[in-house]
Amino acid sequence: MATTVNSGNIPVSNTQSSTSADPRYEGSTFQYSMLLEHLIGEKRPIKDLNPTVMGGLPNPMKTDDQKMIERGMESCAFKAVLACVGGFVLGGAFGVFTAGIDTNVGFDPKDPMRTPTAREVLKDMGQRGMSYAKNFAVIGAMFSCTECIIESHRGKSDWKNAVYSGCVTGGAIGFRGELTTSSGAKAGVLGCGGFAAFSAAIEYYLR
Amino acid sequence: MDPEKAQQLAAELEVEMMADMYNRMTNACHRKCVPPHYKEAELSKGEAVCLDRCVAKYLDLHERLGRKLTELSVQDEEMMRKNAIGQ
Repeated sequence: MATTVNSGNIPVSNTQSSTSADPRYEGSTFQYSMLLEHLIGEKRPIKDLNPTVMGGLPNPMKTDDQKMIERGMESCAFKAVLACVGGFVLGGAFGVFTAGIDTNVGFDPKDPMRTPTAREVLKDMGQRGMSYAKNFAVIGAMFSCTECIIESHRGKSDWKNAVYSGCVTGGAIGFRGELTTSSGAKAGVLGCGGFAAFSAAIEYYLR
Repeated sequence: MDPEKAQQLAAELEVEMMADMYNRMTNACHRKCVPPHYKEAELSKGEAVCLDRCVAKYLDLHERLGRKLTELSVQDEEMMRKNAIGQ
């Protein structure tokens, strides 16, 4: 900050605020630091900051309950639970449908011409439906959870989040398959690539 | 200058300063965090997280720079006072 001192004995202050030209303050020492303390530093007045005061559009304040509910609904856990339930329902429907068209039920090697009883068919449909439902639920929850976490970490929302989380989910599935059947790490990589490509295709379609 | 005058002046300038800071912060964070793809009206999770971080950083910066400015201004006044006494 440049100091300007008169040739006389009255020190004229250095200041960069527009009040230096204000006739009230000419000829007196103007202490910028004191003003700053009242504006930014220790002695500033306690105000409640809301957009109405600061120049935004006036908005009725949200209650604490409402804020908590909104925060819960935006959280990663809620989204994962939602995807889990959705996956369960979808998987159940898909499993039941597949059981209907797959005619492998009740096959008795001694009597190939026997038609399966209704109870056998229903039991098979129930089992397949449940198995598909559980798988889809787990996959959906994992995908949604990882996507939400990756998006929160990156701070951006674009198609790459889905691709990364598709890779993680596919890799986890492939790796788990590899652990139980020992087919090598290739299954993990393949799962990652496949699921990531699938997610990319879906994102391309959606955006 | 006595503290009372400083307080009055600060009260006048405060409203303007707050409004200006709010406007600049909104513009800067909008430019950084919200890409111009308006396919839906709601803020997505990534954008909301980015805005939280942007506002926190902006306010932190504002406070630190203000403190540094106050420090520098105090030093400057000391120097000026010494010069005035020395003359």
